[in-house]
This record gives sequence, C-alpha cells and structure tokens, in this order.
Amino acid sequence: MIKKIILAILILGILGALYGWFFVYNKPHTNFEKSKPDFEVTATGLYNDYVSGKGNRYNGKVLKLTGTVKKTDDGDTLVTLVFVFNEGMFGDEGIRCTLLPKYNPQIRKLTLPATITLKGFCAGYNGTDVVLEQCSLLK
Amino acid sequence: MNMKRILVVLAVLLSFTVSTQAQRYITKSGNITFFSDGPLEKIEAVNNKVNAALDSQSGMFVFKVLMKSFVFEKALMQEHFNENYVESDKYPVATFKGKVTNISDVNFNKPGDYQAKVTGQLTIHGQTHPVKTTGTFTVYDKGVKGKSQFTIKLIDYNIEIPSIVSGKIAKEILITVNIDLKPLKQ
Repeated sequence: MIKKIILAILILGILGALYGWFFVYNKPHTNFEKSKPDFEVTATGLYNDYVSGKGNRYNGKVLKLTGTVKKTDDGDTLVTLVFVFNEGMFGDEGIRCTLLPKYNPQIRKLTLPATITLKGFCAGYNGTDVVLEQCSLLK
Repeated sequence: MNMKRILVVLAVLLSFTVSTQAQRYITKSGNITFFSDGPLEKIEAVNNKVNAALDSQSGMFVFKVLMKSFVFEKALMQEHFNENYVESDKYPVATFKGKVTNISDVNFNKPGDYQAKVTGQLTIHGQTHPVKTTGTFTVYDKGVKGKSQFTIKLIDYNIEIPSIVSGKIAKEILITVNIDLKPLKQ
C-alpha cells in the first residue's frame, strides 16, 4: 500500500515537472494574430493620445487600428507600414507597424495611400513613433 | 560682374544645401542585442526596431529603445524581463544621449572603416549612468553602418535580480549595437 502511495506521488511529481517544463518554462510566445483586441482605435486617435501623454494605457496591449498608410519601409524580412503625422529629428513621425512576414506580399501590392485595418501588439511610444509589432492585416 | 556674383551666391547656397542634407543620419530599425552569460543559463534578447540618429558635424548621437520590443527565445523570460526586471510598463523607453568625440576623424564622403569614440548618458529603468565605449563606423555608398559592444552592470540601473535566480543571471550584461544609418532627406 505504501509503495502504491509513493508511486502515485512520484508519478504526480513527474507530471507536475513536465507540466512546468512545457507550459510554464517553455510556454509559447503569444500569437497576436489570434488574440482579441483590447482596444479599437483610429491611427489619428492613437497618435494624438500618445503625443498628449494619454497613451500609456495602450502599452503592451493588442490594438485593432484603422487609418491611412502613407508609406512603407521595406526591409529584407520586416515590412513596416508607416502612418505619418509629423516631422522631427528622426524624420517622419507617426505610427510604425511591422507585420507578420506572411502578410508581406499583400502589403507590397498596396497602392499608397491606402486605408487599412490591422491588429497588433503595441510596444509603446519612443518619443517619435508609436510602435506596433507582429501585426496582421484585417482589411 | 553681375553674373559672377550670381554664380558665387549660387555656389554658396548649393554647398550649404549639400552640407545640411548630409548632416543627419538616422535609422528606425537599428539592432541591439543583450547577452547574459550566467553560470546556469545564457540569456539573449534582440530588438530590431531601435531609433538612432547621428549628426555628422557635431557628433551628437542619440538612441531610443522601446523595452517591450526585445524578443527572447522563451516567452517566460520575456515576461520576467518586462514585469520584474526593467518594469517596462513604468519605464517603457531606454535612451542614450551622447557624442562621438572624434567625429572629425570620420570622413562621411570617403567609404571605409573609422574607429569611433563614444561617450554619453544611458538611461534604463529610470536610472541614468555614464557610458564610454568605442566602435566602428563603416561609410558606404548608401550611408553609415555602426557597430559597438560594451557591458553594463545591472546594479547601476537599479535592476534587481531576485535571490532565487541570482545565480542564473549574470550581473554584467553585454550589449551589442548594429545600426545602418541613412542620410535624412530634408
């Protein structure tokens, strides 16, 4: 009987360790494409909120954003959609959204300026730009 | 006579626009990695959306880094980094404001490698500390590439490592900077 109890405790312990290893220590990164947006915003509204110091509530949240894209920055792997609102020491200032690579072909076909809706993770405002990452194109 | 004057004025104006055009080099997709070589675990994180600006005349050199843009291999580490160590909700941006002290040694019109001396103030986690490092600028046809490596001490930036994992995480972090600066069109 005691052997059985020890065995049961051992098995539970191993299961617990496995659970910890897979679901805590090695838990996957959030898939923002599947996340529900915390806020729905317009590009103008989001930018103005950050510039006037009311933007911190968006930090680290998933945003659904609609606005007019004026330009794209095309890197090798990352394509960035840029909503331009201002000029400063770093050139254009506004909202910069990097997309999940699978959307790159679609973005490269856009005729600019274009009105689009996207969803992504808001990393915050660095003093010149609001940065959205891992965005997926909704329309 | 009149023609000559006009030509001189034009030449002066032209040289002025050329020099002001080439004055500022920027990027918004700079790369910063940090590396902690702890006894039990090596931790590495990458941020490839770093803002940097360099003034080719004064040597002014500025970086702006969003802490939430650092990507770790493990989601759990990323979460701990943001929530417990750098408290990125409270301190979302790290900045470096400094100077390339030997900027006159860099010829922005002549492709090649130039050694750069950089000093400035680095602010992370709301704490500012002086940083002095060296790096290389590589002038090429499209702009200037810059790279540098230096170490920072976590204690300088008031970043506390809980005692339960303090053996795992190095007290000094190696920072590697790689930027590809392009002239800012004005």
